[in-house]
Amino acid sequence: MSFESIVFTLILLVSFAAFGYSAKKLISFLRLGKSEERFDHLAKRVRDVLTMVLGQSRLFREPLAGLMHFAIFWGFLVITIGTLEMMIQGIYPPFSLHFLGRIYSVLLFTQDLFAAFVALAVLYAFYRRYVSRPKRLQVHKEAQWDATLILLLIFTLMVSLFTLNGAEMARGSDLHAGAKPVSRAIAALFSALSPNALAVWSRASWWVHMLTVLGFLNYLPFSKHLHIMAAAPNVFFQTSRPKGALKAMNLEDESVTTFGVSKITDFSWKQLLDTYSCTECGRCTAACPANITGKLLSPRAIITQMRDALLEQGPTLLKQQKGGTLTSEEQELVNKTVPASWITEQELWACTTCRACVTECPVGIEHIDHIVDMRRYLTLMEGKISPEAQTALRNIENNSNPWGIGADTRADWAKGLDVPILSQVECGEVDVLYWVGCSGSFDQRNKKISVALTQIMKKAGVRFGILGTEEKCSGDSPRRLGNEYLAQTLMKENVATLNKYKFKKVVTACPHCFNTIKNEYPQFGGNYEVVHHSQFIAQLVKEGRLSVTAGKEISATTYHDSCYLGRHNDVYEAPRDVVKSVANGAFVETRRSRDKGFCCGAGGGRMWMEEKEGKRVNIERTEELLETGAKTIATACPFCMTMINDGVRAKAKEEEVRVLDISELLANSLL
Amino acid sequence: MAGIWVYAEHKDGKLKSTAAQLLTGARTLAETLSEEVVAVLLGSGVEAMAAPLGPLGADKVLVADAQPLGQYLTEPYCHVLTTLMKERQPSIFLGPASSIGKDLFPRVAARLQTGLASDCTGIGLTENKDLKLKRPVYAGKAFIEVVISGRPAMASIRPNTLTPKPADSSKTALSEKISVSIPPEAFRVKLKEVVKGKSEKVDLTEASIIVSGGRAMQNSENYKILWDLASAFGEGATVGASRAAVDSSYASHDMQVGQTGKVVNPNLYIACGISGAIQHLAGMRTSKVIVAINKDPEAPIFQKADFGIVGDLFKLVPALIEEIKKIKAHD
Amino acid sequence: MNIVVCMKQVPDTETKIRLKEGNGGIQTDGVKWIINPYCEFAVEEALRIRERNGGQGTVTLVCMGPDRAVESIRTALAMGVDKAIHLNDPLFEGSDNFGVAKILARAIQTIPHDIILCGKQAVDDDASQVPQILAEQLNIPHVMVVEKMEVDVANKKVTTSRRIEGGAKEVLEVPLPAVFGADKGMNEPRYASLPGIMKAKSKEVKKVTAADLGLKPEEIGVAAAKVKIQAYSLPPERQAGKKIEGGDPAQVAHELAKWLREEARVI
Repeated sequence: MSFESIVFTLILLVSFAAFGYSAKKLISFLRLGKSEERFDHLAKRVRDVLTMVLGQSRLFREPLAGLMHFAIFWGFLVITIGTLEMMIQGIYPPFSLHFLGRIYSVLLFTQDLFAAFVALAVLYAFYRRYVSRPKRLQVHKEAQWDATLILLLIFTLMVSLFTLNGAEMARGSDLHAGAKPVSRAIAALFSALSPNALAVWSRASWWVHMLTVLGFLNYLPFSKHLHIMAAAPNVFFQTSRPKGALKAMNLEDESVTTFGVSKITDFSWKQLLDTYSCTECGRCTAACPANITGKLLSPRAIITQMRDALLEQGPTLLKQQKGGTLTSEEQELVNKTVPASWITEQELWACTTCRACVTECPVGIEHIDHIVDMRRYLTLMEGKISPEAQTALRNIENNSNPWGIGADTRADWAKGLDVPILSQVECGEVDVLYWVGCSGSFDQRNKKISVALTQIMKKAGVRFGILGTEEKCSGDSPRRLGNEYLAQTLMKENVATLNKYKFKKVVTACPHCFNTIKNEYPQFGGNYEVVHHSQFIAQLVKEGRLSVTAGKEISATTYHDSCYLGRHNDVYEAPRDVVKSVANGAFVETRRSRDKGFCCGAGGGRMWMEEKEGKRVNIERTEELLETGAKTIATACPFCMTMINDGVRAKAKEEEVRVLDISELLANSLL
Repeated sequence: MAGIWVYAEHKDGKLKSTAAQLLTGARTLAETLSEEVVAVLLGSGVEAMAAPLGPLGADKVLVADAQPLGQYLTEPYCHVLTTLMKERQPSIFLGPASSIGKDLFPRVAARLQTGLASDCTGIGLTENKDLKLKRPVYAGKAFIEVVISGRPAMASIRPNTLTPKPADSSKTALSEKISVSIPPEAFRVKLKEVVKGKSEKVDLTEASIIVSGGRAMQNSENYKILWDLASAFGEGATVGASRAAVDSSYASHDMQVGQTGKVVNPNLYIACGISGAIQHLAGMRTSKVIVAINKDPEAPIFQKADFGIVGDLFKLVPALIEEIKKIKAHD
Repeated sequence: MNIVVCMKQVPDTETKIRLKEGNGGIQTDGVKWIINPYCEFAVEEALRIRERNGGQGTVTLVCMGPDRAVESIRTALAMGVDKAIHLNDPLFEGSDNFGVAKILARAIQTIPHDIILCGKQAVDDDASQVPQILAEQLNIPHVMVVEKMEVDVANKKVTTSRRIEGGAKEVLEVPLPAVFGADKGMNEPRYASLPGIMKAKSKEVKKVTAADLGLKPEEIGVAAAKVKIQAYSLPPERQAGKKIEGGDPAQVAHELAKWLREEARVI
C-alpha cells in the first residue's frame, strides 16, 4: 500500500467512526420517544417512498424549486456511486467498475451530466437564497449560514469532480473520456498545463473531493441537511391513518397518569424522526394561514423547536434513563416541557388544522399530530385553554352543541318540513341517514342549508331520515381542541346511536362531521359509508334524479374549498360539479384553490376562539374570493359559510356578493 | 295576631318606590283579613319618613331609629326585626326582594322558625286566609304557587310587581318609636367600606340593562348615543357590542357580547344595528326582554326580539333617550 | 383551614321545563343535570382559597340530592374537592328551604368547618334562602352575593366584598366560621383535568341518611315544609315579538318606552 493510500484509509476510518458515533447518538435520542407501530401497510409505504422520495412529488408543487431539488437529489444518487468507486480507489487504486461494460459508460455519462445539473442547481439555489429571496427562505442567520455552507460544499464537490476529470483527461489517462462530455469541455481548459501540473491538479482535486465528501458526511448530523439521511425513512414511516383522522388516545388504561405531550419523551419515535427530517425549507410555513396572516405560529418552527428540545435534553434524558444521578442544573433541564419552554401556547392554539403544512411537506412531517398532541396536554392536564373555547366545550357537554342551545330543540329546524326522525320511522330503516350537525340544526343561516338539502332529497325521492334530538356534536371540535375525553365520549355515544338504526349511507353537509364520522368513528366501532352532500348531490345530478335549470345561476361564481373536504378527504370535484351544473360556465377559480386552498380560519376548534393576533384569516380569504370578481361565493361547509359571510360583511360587500352553500345554489335552480 | 307588616325600605333619606307598592298589596290583604297595616322603618334619622307612609296605606308605623342602624348590616337588622316581631306577632310580613330584602328576610324567617317565599310576583289569600304567593322558578320558565300557613307568613315581593295606588293625603298613620337595643355579638361582622358604583362601570355580566351596538353604528363617534341611552336608563345599565363592532374598533373587547365574548343575562337587552348571528345570540339570548332595532327586516335578531323595530337607529335611539328621560323624571 | 362547600344539582339552564301530570313538579326524564352554576363558583373559590393557602386544608363537599347527584359530586371531586358527603334519603325529598338548611346544618355540624361556601342561589327554585338559614341555624354570620374573598388564616377571618344595588360594593370583615354565598364573576371555574376525573373515581363519597343525622321523618321533607307548594304552572307560550316597521321615530320610541314600562316591566 502506498503512503497516500494508508493516509486515506486512516482518514476514511476516522470519518466513518465519527459519523457512526454521531448517528448512534441521534438514533439513541429517537429511542427516547414512545413506541408506535409504523410497519403496517407496507405496500403503501413503498409507494410513498417511490413517489415522494424518488419521484420528489411534493417538491414539484413549486415547479422551479422542485426541478432544482430534483437535479441535486438525483445527481447525488448517481454521483454517490462514483464517489464510492473513488473511495475504494483511494484504498486500492487499481479498482474500477469498468467491468460493468456498457452500463459503466452510461453511468459515467449520467454522472458527468448530473454533476453539471447539480452545479447549475446549486447556482440557482444561491440565487434564490441571496437574490430572489422568497419569504420562506428568509431565515435567521444561523440557518442561512448552514444552508450556505452546504451549498458551498456541494458546489466544491462538483467543481472538484470536474477538475479531477478534466486534469485526468488532459493527461490522457482517462479511458472513458468519450462518456464524459462536460468533463471533456473542462479538459480543454487544462490543455495548456504541463503533465506534472496536471498530475498535481488531479491529485489535489481528488483529495479535495474526498475530504469534502467526508467532511460533508460528518457535518450532516449537526445540520438541517440531516434530511438526506432521515427523509426517506420518514416518508416510509408516515402514518397509515386516513388523512383526516387523529390518533385515538387510550383513555381506558388506568395506569396512565399523564395525557397528551409535554415532554420530549411523550412524543413517539416517529414524531422525533420528523424533527431530523425537517430541512427547514419552509414550504409548510409559506402555506400556513395563521403564519400568512401575521400570527406567531410557524409549522416549521414547531418542528425545529421540537428538535432544539430534543437535542438539548437528549443527552441528559439518556443519562437519566441509564440511572445516572442528575445535577440540579440537569434536573432543571429535564423538567422543562416542550409546550412551555420551546413552543408557546399562543403558537399551538393558532393552528386551524387546515393541513396545508402537511400537504406541502416534502418529507412527510405530521405537524397537526404534534400540535394536537400538545393541545391535548394543555387541555386535559393543565386546563390551559382559552375561556371561549372552554365555554364551547362546556356547552357541548351539557347540550351537545357548542352554543349551549337546549339539546331538545335540535330538530326544531325541521318542524313543518315533514322530515322523518329515525326513532319514529316505523321500520327503522332508511337509505340515507342525514346527519344534520350542530350548525345545520341551530344556526339560523346554516339551517337554510338543512332546508335546501331536505328539499333536494325530497325532490330526488331519497328515502332519508334524521336522528333528531339523538344526534350530538360529532366530536370534531372537542378533539381538535385537545379534549379527547369529551370527544371520545361523544363519538362513542354517537356510534351507539347510529348502530341502532339501519341505513345505507350517512350524508352530511358539514365536512367536519363528515371527516370525523368517516375517518375517526371506525376507531370506536362505527363503520359507515359516509358521503358529503356535495358528492351526494353531484351523484343525484349525474344520475338524472334531479332536474335542474342549467345556467339559472348567471352571476359569476367561485368556490371556496373547505379544508376538511379538500385536503383532508380529497373531495375537490364534486362541489365544483354541483356549482357548474347551475353556474353554466360562469365559474371562476380562486387564486389558492383545491389542495392549495386557503383556510377560512374556523378549523381545529378555532371557530370557537377569538382571533386577536394579526389579520383575521377569514378576511384574508374573503379578500381573495372577492378578487375573483364573483358575485356568488359558493361554500360547502357551515363553518366556512359563517367565516366567509362575516368576511363579506366586514368588507361591506353584502349588498353585492352572496355567500351560498352549494345545496342552496342547486335548490334555487331545481325545476 | 297583630297586623300585616310591610318593610319600608329607603335610600338617601327617601322611601323607595317599593314601600308604596307593598303597602298597596298589604291594604288589599288587610281588607279581607280585617287587620291593620303596619309599616316598619329601620335606620338612623329615619323618623321623617314615617309620616308619608300613612297616605301610602299604613295604619301605623313602627320606627326603629338608632345610630347603629345607620348602615345596613344583616345581624343588627335581624335582631331588631325579630325582637319586634316576636313581641308583636304580626300575621303577615311583606318586604321587597331587594338587595337588603334578599339578604335579611331569610335570616329573619329562620330565627322566627317560619316560612318565607322569596321574590314573589303574585300575592293573595287562600280560602283559609293563609298567605298564598306566586313565584317564578327555573329562571321564569315555570311558576309555583305556595302557601304559608305558619305565622308570621313572610314574603319578599319583586319590585314593580304591585302597582301602587296614589297617595291619599287624607290618611295619616300612627307613628310609634321603638327603643332599640342590640347586643354586641350582633356586630361580629364589620363593615369596612362601601365602594360606590358608577353606572357606566357596571360589568356587562352584572348589568340589568344592556344597550348593544353592531357594525351599523358606522363609527365610534356614533357609538356615543348608546352610552347616552344607557345613562338615561340609569343605575345598572351599560353598553355592549357585537364582535363586528369590536373588530371595527367602535368598542373595546371587554364590551363584546357573544359566544367568544361575554355571556350576559340582563332584564333588558337592546340590540341596535345587530343582525343577530348565532355567535352573538349565544351570548345574549337568555336576556329576559330583547328589543331589536335594525334596518334590515330580515335580520335574524327579529326572531328573538320581544319588541322589534325596523328603522333607522340614528333616529330611533335619540327619540328613545328622550322618552326614557321623561319616564325617569317622573320616578 | 377546613372549607365546606354546599352544592346543589339542578337541571341545565337550557332545559325546557315541562310539567308532570297533576301537581308533581317538573318532568325530569331527558333532563341534563348540572352543578348549580353559583355552586360551581363556590367550589372553585374553595379550591382557590386552599391553593392560595399553600394547599393547606380540606375541601369537603356537602350535597343533598337523589342518586343522580353523584355525577355532579364526581365532577366537583374531579375539579379538586377532597371528599364529599352525599345527603341522600327519600325522606329528604320535598323539603323546603328551611328543611334543606336544617339537613345541611346537621351534616356540617359533624365535620370541622371554618368557611362554608354556597352558591348565592340555586337556578331551579331561585329562592336564595338556604345560605342565610343555614348560617342562622349554625349561629354564625353569613355574607351573600360575594364577589371576592381574602382569607386571613392566622386570625381566622375573611375580608370579603359583596355586591349591593347600583353597582356599589360593601367590604366586610367576617370572623370565621361563616357562610358565604358566591356570586357570578367571583372566579372562572376550572375545567376538570383528565387526571382529576380519573382520581375522582376513587375519592370518598359518604352517603348520609336522615337516620345518620338523627333527623326524624316529621322534621323534614314535605311534611315539615313551612312553605308548601300548591301548584305548578307554565308561563304563557312566548308570543311572537311585536314588530314595528316604519312610522314616525318619536311615536315609535314612545310606544317602545311605554311597552318597556307597562308590559315588559323592565324599567
